[in-house]
Amino acid sequence: MSQESEWEPKILGFLCRWCSYAGADLAGTSRKKYPANIRIIKIPCSGRIDPLLIIRALRTGFDGVLVSGCHPGDCHYQTGNYRARRRIAITKNFLEYMGMEPQRLQASWVSASEGGKFAEVVSEITRDLKEISPNRLFTDERDGTKATE
Amino acid sequence: MSETEQKLRNEAMTLLEQGRADYIIGYEAGSLKFTTTPLITRDKDDIDRLVINPFILNNLSVFLGDISGKAGIVAKGCDSRSIVSLIQDQQLAREDIVIIGVPCSGVIDLNKVEKLTGKDRDELDDIAWAGDKAVVTIEGAKKEFPAKDVLMDDCLSCDMPAPQEYDILLDEVGPLVCDKELSRSQIKELEEMSPEQRWEFWKNEFSRCIRCYACRQVCPACFCKRCFVEETEPQWISPLPKWQDNLIFQMTRMIHVAGRCTDCGECQRSCPVNIPLRSLSKKMEEIADELFQYKAGTDKDAPPLMAAYESEEAEDFIR
Repeated sequence: MSQESEWEPKILGFLCRWCSYAGADLAGTSRKKYPANIRIIKIPCSGRIDPLLIIRALRTGFDGVLVSGCHPGDCHYQTGNYRARRRIAITKNFLEYMGMEPQRLQASWVSASEGGKFAEVVSEITRDLKEISPNRLFTDERDGTKATE
Repeated sequence: MSETEQKLRNEAMTLLEQGRADYIIGYEAGSLKFTTTPLITRDKDDIDRLVINPFILNNLSVFLGDISGKAGIVAKGCDSRSIVSLIQDQQLAREDIVIIGVPCSGVIDLNKVEKLTGKDRDELDDIAWAGDKAVVTIEGAKKEFPAKDVLMDDCLSCDMPAPQEYDILLDEVGPLVCDKELSRSQIKELEEMSPEQRWEFWKNEFSRCIRCYACRQVCPACFCKRCFVEETEPQWISPLPKWQDNLIFQMTRMIHVAGRCTDCGECQRSCPVNIPLRSLSKKMEEIADELFQYKAGTDKDAPPLMAAYESEEAEDFIR
């Protein structure tokens, strides 16, 4: 068996407190199966997402980052997800230009009632990430230092 | 002295005399030939030092944040966009500044002239614009060069040489010379590379970075009183200039100034280790335009890029 197929990607999920976090909860209580590759951080709103949080997650060694919030029009604070959308779009396009693989930054709209969708999203992202190699963006082969954990 | 220069001095003097401005921010001749340096003054005797020539390089709007009181500021097209952008971000009140607009024919890159003529700057007598040609005088003999051979790279991509916002306009708009392909040639090269090659490229470039923060200091869009790199709780990046942290600093800075950067090119010019920063900032400008049809500093009443939204836009990457 090759090393690649044994490899399990680590994903950091930033989930909005009102929709996606509750959606993830529902996935659990409804006993939906999804890969255990995701680690979740609860944020007050997807509008809380800062490009630095994303970049920092990649620097720390996560293979992918997911930002998930309420569907457009459903934000608890009216406009947070719209603002997040612009910020993530800019960040994603820019990081891809720098040389990041497009699969590493993902976004989704998952409502509190969409436990099934949350499970699907995580499965899809995990599958996509397995197609590319582990995150070595910030690993330095020259002096042997690894990304800090 | 050119007519424009005389007009500028007259206007600046009037502003100070009438009390419409407490300060004048402009350019004076630099200590080396064919250079200029910023002049910030409240003294009427200094007005005679103000100059306008093809070497007025600096984006003076960076000084506006540090000045209290009303300022009269000399602004080229790109500088005026930076000022508008500061107004959009509520860093400035429009009524606190008097913008003296200079329609810009572009800034001449002395390095390019030196290369073309094969002469050192001290051997050149004069460099001036004549329509869309730059005329270089060497020992009495005049030589003409097409503008696009001598312009600064960022000027080559300029499509707004006239000030967007002004109170006084010194002259008519000159001929516009631009060559967008030439100006973004490095971006094109990078886009044709694979992601791995691109990352390797930037990794190499930023291994040279000494984190002097000159790019941040000259940038009018970088107006935060406290930058994330200096925060200690949490400490976002290490203060040591390791390439990883250098990269994170610059990537984040570029994302932060998205929608404010007007491609004035000051960051790249200030870089002591010649990192091609414009290939980042220019690309960011293109991304903002492509995704949100947003051009920085063109409308002082519009909300800033990151503070606005449309109900339907940029959805294609969201699951």
